[in-house]
Amino acid sequence: MKWKKILLNGRVILLIFFLMISIISLATRGLTFGLDISGGISITVKLEKPVDPQTMEQVRIALDQRLNALGVKDITIEPWGNQFVIIKVARVSEEEADQLVKTIERQGVFYAEFEGVIFATGKDILNVGSVSYDPRQSAWVVPFRLSKEAAEKFAELARGKAGYPVDMFLDPPVNSTLVVSKEFYNALTSSEFMMAGNMTLAERIEKAFNIKILVYNNQTAEEIAEVAKNSERVILVDVNSDLAKELKALGLSVEIRTREKDETMDEFVRRVLRLYGPYKVGSGLATGQPQTEVMISIGGSQNDVRARNDAQIVAVVLRSGSLPVKLSIERIDYISPKLGENFKQQVLIAGIAALLVVGAIVYLHYRRFKIAIPVMFTSFSEVLIILGIASMIRWNLDLPSIAGIIAAIGTGVDQQIVITDELLGEVGGVKRRSVKRSGVLKRMGRAFFIILASATTTIVAMSFLFKFFVGGLRGFAFTTILGVLVGILITRPAYGEIAKVLIGERR
Amino acid sequence: MIKEKLKILVEMEPKKMIIYPLIVFGIALIIILANYITTGSIVKEGIELQGGSVITLQGVTADPDTIAEKIREETGINVNVERFTSVTGGGGIRVYIPAGENVDKVREALKQLFPNVEPQTTVIGPTFGRMVKEQGIKAITYAFIGMAIVVFLFFRVPVPSLTVVFSAFSDMVIAIALMDIFGIELSQATIAALLMLIGYSVDSNILLTTRLLKRKEFTVEEAYYSSLKTGFTMSTTTLGALASLWLFSTAQVIDDIASVLIFGLLADFMNTWILNAGVLRLYITKREGKK
Repeated sequence: MKWKKILLNGRVILLIFFLMISIISLATRGLTFGLDISGGISITVKLEKPVDPQTMEQVRIALDQRLNALGVKDITIEPWGNQFVIIKVARVSEEEADQLVKTIERQGVFYAEFEGVIFATGKDILNVGSVSYDPRQSAWVVPFRLSKEAAEKFAELARGKAGYPVDMFLDPPVNSTLVVSKEFYNALTSSEFMMAGNMTLAERIEKAFNIKILVYNNQTAEEIAEVAKNSERVILVDVNSDLAKELKALGLSVEIRTREKDETMDEFVRRVLRLYGPYKVGSGLATGQPQTEVMISIGGSQNDVRARNDAQIVAVVLRSGSLPVKLSIERIDYISPKLGENFKQQVLIAGIAALLVVGAIVYLHYRRFKIAIPVMFTSFSEVLIILGIASMIRWNLDLPSIAGIIAAIGTGVDQQIVITDELLGEVGGVKRRSVKRSGVLKRMGRAFFIILASATTTIVAMSFLFKFFVGGLRGFAFTTILGVLVGILITRPAYGEIAKVLIGERR
Repeated sequence: MIKEKLKILVEMEPKKMIIYPLIVFGIALIIILANYITTGSIVKEGIELQGGSVITLQGVTADPDTIAEKIREETGINVNVERFTSVTGGGGIRVYIPAGENVDKVREALKQLFPNVEPQTTVIGPTFGRMVKEQGIKAITYAFIGMAIVVFLFFRVPVPSLTVVFSAFSDMVIAIALMDIFGIELSQATIAALLMLIGYSVDSNILLTTRLLKRKEFTVEEAYYSSLKTGFTMSTTTLGALASLWLFSTAQVIDDIASVLIFGLLADFMNTWILNAGVLRLYITKREGKK
């Protein structure tokens, strides 16, 4: 009799309906887990300035192409707001993750320069082939196609100049003054960077990029400022940095570069100038005939991992000239797939434990299974429905999302207790159960007033979290809101009906 | 039974009920202020807000100080190593690397020390940290204002509404003071937990206010005692759920959220059932006196 009364209620039927849909969805579609559970890397990238949606889409496509070039599967690139992009790759090894980070780091404005003349920029690189090993040259090669204009310009410049250096830059410090140590200057003018040419690297970059170079020998800040008058910024390279303050006081924009402990001078020069190469002009390119199909070769054996990596980097650099804005990496999260599996288990155990603990506490308070079991059942249904919806919309369940579900269950149980206590209507130790049906309705009304008010505040609070946060906590906000909604719309009304039958009207 | 003990609160003078939570609130403010004076921030900011890196190694039981020393020798980087455990036997160490240092070097060194352990790495740039902080402050401020508006809309009486808003504020202040005491850092997770606290805190306050103002068939004391018992049940179940989360997981995000919520709920129990109840009882007596 009682069972029939419970089951034939509209609200209970709604609950059962949702439960069934959730179970079906969970069984057929399964759950998708976030990277902190399934393992993988998530990289948060910031754009130099806020951009419009079209530019954002270009950035997304450019990143996608470049990262795909590495041969890693399952890359998702999510633009977030107008200035951030989150790149997620599931189940990658540490090495692959490192490569992804390095690839993103190496981006920016591309220039190819010969004898102080820029003959190609990012937009002149029409196509970059894949890196391969060429046994005849015993070198790793990166083939690419230049635009016709660039090829003609280069043919003109390089005629008869086989063995001369070609430099490639990504984000060089254009229009700046470098204040450098003697040692650094010596490296800039060394034959290493000059090859068979007749211009030093220092001369080439001055001509091409308006980079002035000043060897530091205790000049005053004023003297340096005089030289740097027309530069956008001053970069202190490998010199004592007390100068920085004085220069800043003179209203200059100052940056500092220091050499790392195990970095060679050549590596340091490349890093400061963001230089790749220089590469020697082969005799075939020095004939004066424009060639659009060209390649860069990096000597080394087929097993030379370093040479192969260098070639990969060159390929990426060539491709990345097409990015419309500069990016910087702001956050990296890496978790190994094995570890994630561990977390999944822990969370499952924690969830089951939480449910049992809640059930036990509710039983201890009321000493009645008639209350404890429906409360547990309702909470369990709530979890199932939240997971069901998550599976339907393919929401990535990450750890914060799961914490959100458990938080929602916490408030859910609270509200069921409010309903129960309103129905029990215990006062002063004497049980005065509602006698009239109108009394029950009134009490339920009051319980739902409380529930609605607290649900509204939770949703309001969490909406701000959902809207304002870049990071992973959107998941927390999302599942909390979802849990509260499922609670007030589906499970709480059903619990109210069940409880009404089991407690309220039994007399 | 514990519930019988709650009667002490019913018999307490409403004025006294107001004083104790205010004293606790004051102490919490002093703790936060002291923290601000000594460290320059009201609560210790984790790497998520300051920038820096953390490498987590699960299943490593070595002594944190020895590892820190070894890494220092090997790389010259001053790292900070911490150990964590869970009841299920899991546990491990976290290695914190200051912003600007070379994370790869530390990772290499750790790999040599523990070749079979797979690390979890998080690297956060300082500007990103600043942004997270700004967003966090924004989110908390807006959520708080939003909450206050909702509360006023639901009750439409100034004194009880203000008390609800104040007690939510006090919950957060006390939770932050406890974070200072237990050394829990401000991170994205704990900011979320502080926000969640707004929801939880309003929950119980609304229950109390509704019962006391609307349940006119009983005396104030009767209504108070019955809501107190409901509130006690509510808090214990939630605490139980959060404690299981905290105990069974070794993921820092979950641990942090759970502990801050536990602090907040404990504060909330006091603020709702003692402070807010005291104010409401005074308010009702005054209102009825006027009639």
